[in-house]
Amino acid sequence: MVRIHSEARAFLRGMAFLSPWLIGFFAFTLVPIALSLYYSFCDFTLLQPPLFKGLANYRYLANDPIFWKVIGNTAIYAVMALPFGLLTALGAAMLLNLKIGGQSIYRTIIFLPSLVPTAAAAMLWLWLFNAKLGLINVALHALGFVNPPGWLTDARWAMPALVLMSFWGIGNTVIIFLAGLQDVPRELYEAANIDGATTFDRIWHVTLPFISPVIFFNLIIGIIATLQIFAVPYIMTQGGPARSTYFYTMYLYDNAFSYLKMGCGNAMAWVQFLIVLVLTALAAWSSKRWVHYEGA
Amino acid sequence: MPSFLTRSLFVFRKLLVGAMIAAAVALLVFGPRAGDKLPKDCVIVDYWEKWTGDEEAGMRQIVDDFNSTVGRDKHIFVRYLSTSGIEQKTLVAAAAGAPPDVAGLYNQDLPQFGALDALEPLDEMAARHGISARQYKKVYWDECHYDGRLYGLVSSAYDLGLYYNKTIFRDRAGALRAAGLDPDRAPRSIQELDQYAKALNEIEPSGRINFAGYIPLEPGWYAGYTCIWFGGSWWNETTHKFTFTDPGVVRAYEWIQSYSKRLGAQQVAQFQSGFGAFASPQNAFLAPTVAMEQQGTFFAQFIHNLKPSMDGQWVAAVFPSFDPKLKDATYCNCDVLAIPRRAKHPEEAFEFIAFVNRQDEMEKLANLHCKISPLAKISPGFLRHHSNPYIRMFDDLAASPNAHPTEPVPILPEVNDELLAFTQQLSLLQVTPEEGLERIQVRLQQKYDEFMEDQRQRHLIR
Repeated sequence: MVRIHSEARAFLRGMAFLSPWLIGFFAFTLVPIALSLYYSFCDFTLLQPPLFKGLANYRYLANDPIFWKVIGNTAIYAVMALPFGLLTALGAAMLLNLKIGGQSIYRTIIFLPSLVPTAAAAMLWLWLFNAKLGLINVALHALGFVNPPGWLTDARWAMPALVLMSFWGIGNTVIIFLAGLQDVPRELYEAANIDGATTFDRIWHVTLPFISPVIFFNLIIGIIATLQIFAVPYIMTQGGPARSTYFYTMYLYDNAFSYLKMGCGNAMAWVQFLIVLVLTALAAWSSKRWVHYEGA
Repeated sequence: MPSFLTRSLFVFRKLLVGAMIAAAVALLVFGPRAGDKLPKDCVIVDYWEKWTGDEEAGMRQIVDDFNSTVGRDKHIFVRYLSTSGIEQKTLVAAAAGAPPDVAGLYNQDLPQFGALDALEPLDEMAARHGISARQYKKVYWDECHYDGRLYGLVSSAYDLGLYYNKTIFRDRAGALRAAGLDPDRAPRSIQELDQYAKALNEIEPSGRINFAGYIPLEPGWYAGYTCIWFGGSWWNETTHKFTFTDPGVVRAYEWIQSYSKRLGAQQVAQFQSGFGAFASPQNAFLAPTVAMEQQGTFFAQFIHNLKPSMDGQWVAAVFPSFDPKLKDATYCNCDVLAIPRRAKHPEEAFEFIAFVNRQDEMEKLANLHCKISPLAKISPGFLRHHSNPYIRMFDDLAASPNAHPTEPVPILPEVNDELLAFTQQLSLLQVTPEEGLERIQVRLQQKYDEFMEDQRQRHLIR
């Protein structure tokens, strides 16, 4: 009895210390999530009480051509930016892992752009991509390209421009890859050398399997980040030209805060959550085949 | 025994930490304090406004005038706060039960906010202050209403005309005369505008545009109302139906697209991408890379502030219409002062709004903002001393029967976004005017009908 009493007191003491976090979690995370789910089934303008409408918001989205347009745009962006971004980051990390002079300078140069605030970077790239005066087209002119792309003014090139710009911020991903690469035991490379492995063989059979958990981590983070792209196109293109860079989160924002269709905005948020969940689950399921954990 | 260096370093570190703590304490005790010195025995009216820079400075003078006169007598103090995203912040604050007392909105926010019951109707307060339709130019009185209710009063107003660079007209008089055009006047019809533009264009053999006489989408802010000059309208206030397929509307967008067809879609897009920001000396009209531009009354102040060397080198004229019989057509726009629902001090807030709408204060603000007065009665001094030398023309236009207000559609943000996307597709030659307008008519009518049905269910429709 005394023991139960003291265990209960220990539990209550623990809960008391946890309570600030618990209160915050309930008040600012769990309750808003639950309300968001409820509002996704309502017509809610923020200014009046929500009006329950069942699946009306989801049906509206299913029949909305702009909804499918933004899903398409976001998918295209993710398919372009994610694999190329990961490959570029991995390549940069492998180069930065080489034992050469000035290694710390090169690492700093690669990482610095990811420290630039998003809005500042967007304004910078807005001018770099300027079709008439931008440095990129000036350089292309100098190289003999008579009609360089219109970049952000051309519906065919606006998306590739944003993908190119996304490589500017690979610093964080490079750092994580670098940490993984430095964990690869040197003995494995030495053993591979003895067996006559080429550089490609060493990368394919030693490096990649060993850093596969890191690749998996960056893949999941990349899926979430690319599907939630918002700030850069919001500043640079506002979804144009002709909705060619109008992404899912931008349409969600417009629905919620411009058109005051909070119910629709919440429904879009839950659809996005389900998409990210499914893709993450798929990645996790596939990881059984290609991710190798040390000691497993 | 620690060496002298080690002891010195230890002492230095202690002194440094001590100095930093002392500096932090001094900053806390004696440092700057936020907040205005507010009078203690007054009702504080919070006024949120979108303006910054010169426009903010102008409005602050009006606020100071109020606080030192009517406000002092009635124990009301207006506290001005400049904020971006005024529409969203006002709505979110209203939803949270903590709105400002006065919100400086755009006129196009009124239908949406009014439909959502986000604003206090001002009819009774206006009547008590003797404010009525008689005192205003009809177009601006209409702008402040939605569904028969007054939801705001004007703070500043403007309308549109055609600005042209008379120096460029003079320098290229030969080319203009060769095309049978008079370099000493503005174009008088849309067809003439196109001819002037063509004669003034400078295009390389590759198609690259170096200079344009006129580009319909520069700045493109008013593209959705181009139909006014083509005798069309995309909203029928009687039937509450969109009329995007109105022949005047179709003609307007065909005209906009004709420039992309003639000059090349990518060439126009690349040319426009080289324009600097509106409020900069690299503005297309100021650079100059265009000879003519559709702009508001306030543009004269921007020209004077950003490129004073252009003073006296430009002229403002009536923007020409497609049918010369459609005279003095213009689009009128304004900023409004409104009282959000659940504002703490609506009566005191209206005292300030009524003060801004007094003839003397309204003309003072209009002068500071280089805009017209929305009031029917104008003092002769206002027109004589205004910073825009063509203020009389702009004022007459706003009083004309063909002065067109913003359409009172409660889903205007969606309409604007659809029109913007459509206009971009149009200029890139991705869609014809007929098929694009047909598509957005169907889509927007459905959205409007759904919105009104929801409002009926909420008993918000009278």
